[in-house]
Amino acid sequence: MSDLDGSSPAETLDGASTVEVRTSASAALIPTIRAVASDLAARADFDLDAISDLRMAVDEACATLVDVAAPSSTLQCTFLVRSERIEVHAQVRAGHPDAVVSTDTFGWRVLQTLADDVAVHHEPGSGGDGPTVGIRLDKRSGDLPR
Amino acid sequence: MAEPAPLGSESPASEAAGDFLEAAMTRPRADAAVLAVQGEVDTLTATLFADAVAELMDAPETTLVVDLTGVKFLASSGLAVLIQAAHRAEERNARLRLVVTTRAVRRPLEITGIDQLFDMHSDVHDAIGGDD
Repeated sequence: MSDLDGSSPAETLDGASTVEVRTSASAALIPTIRAVASDLAARADFDLDAISDLRMAVDEACATLVDVAAPSSTLQCTFLVRSERIEVHAQVRAGHPDAVVSTDTFGWRVLQTLADDVAVHHEPGSGGDGPTVGIRLDKRSGDLPR
Repeated sequence: MAEPAPLGSESPASEAAGDFLEAAMTRPRADAAVLAVQGEVDTLTATLFADAVAELMDAPETTLVVDLTGVKFLASSGLAVLIQAAHRAEERNARLRLVVTTRAVRRPLEITGIDQLFDMHSDVHDAIGGDD
């Protein structure tokens, strides 16, 4: 399985402290992942609204990916805890060669509202594997003045 | 109040800890029906939530309340259920009343602007007390 960031060890990524969670790509395990998100944000001194937003955004991203994941595959969720923001990369191996994350859904609009930045990435599969589908999102620790 | 009947005790959702959803309907007044929901509303439990809310929206009472005090998490799938219920209420020339006391519920409703679709209350007594 290809890594999100090539071969660099997780703990050296731009000085961000890194937490990676891998689960079966099952909706039943998303509560565990969003609990991790919530805990990391609380420890990083996120304000209470931002903690709530990140928890919900991670839930939304994971639920979206689990929907397209191949049976018995893995959901990989990496948290990069930086100063004043957390970046989340979530990805799965898709079950169908042409699987995509649809961005015209209500859930996606909510995700865009919750996160400061959100993007989808698709990577074609090699050999017999399906494509890798991922969502990257960024959340700041508190509201910036607008 | 009767013990809320657990929904989803036989679904795969109950295999993971913490994602249990309970919903119970009461009629504290002749013209008011209150659906009290407890647990986490997410992709696992959204169908149960939708069924419970649909039952409330079919109730003949003029004042309909969803008490979300016991809800610890509310995902977009749950928000979608509430939006649909708001439209159902509109068809009945009423506004659905929500009881919201926690950030876990208030924040998702407010950041998406969906709170505008409902009459928001901070307790059930207040929610059933107002005129229609």
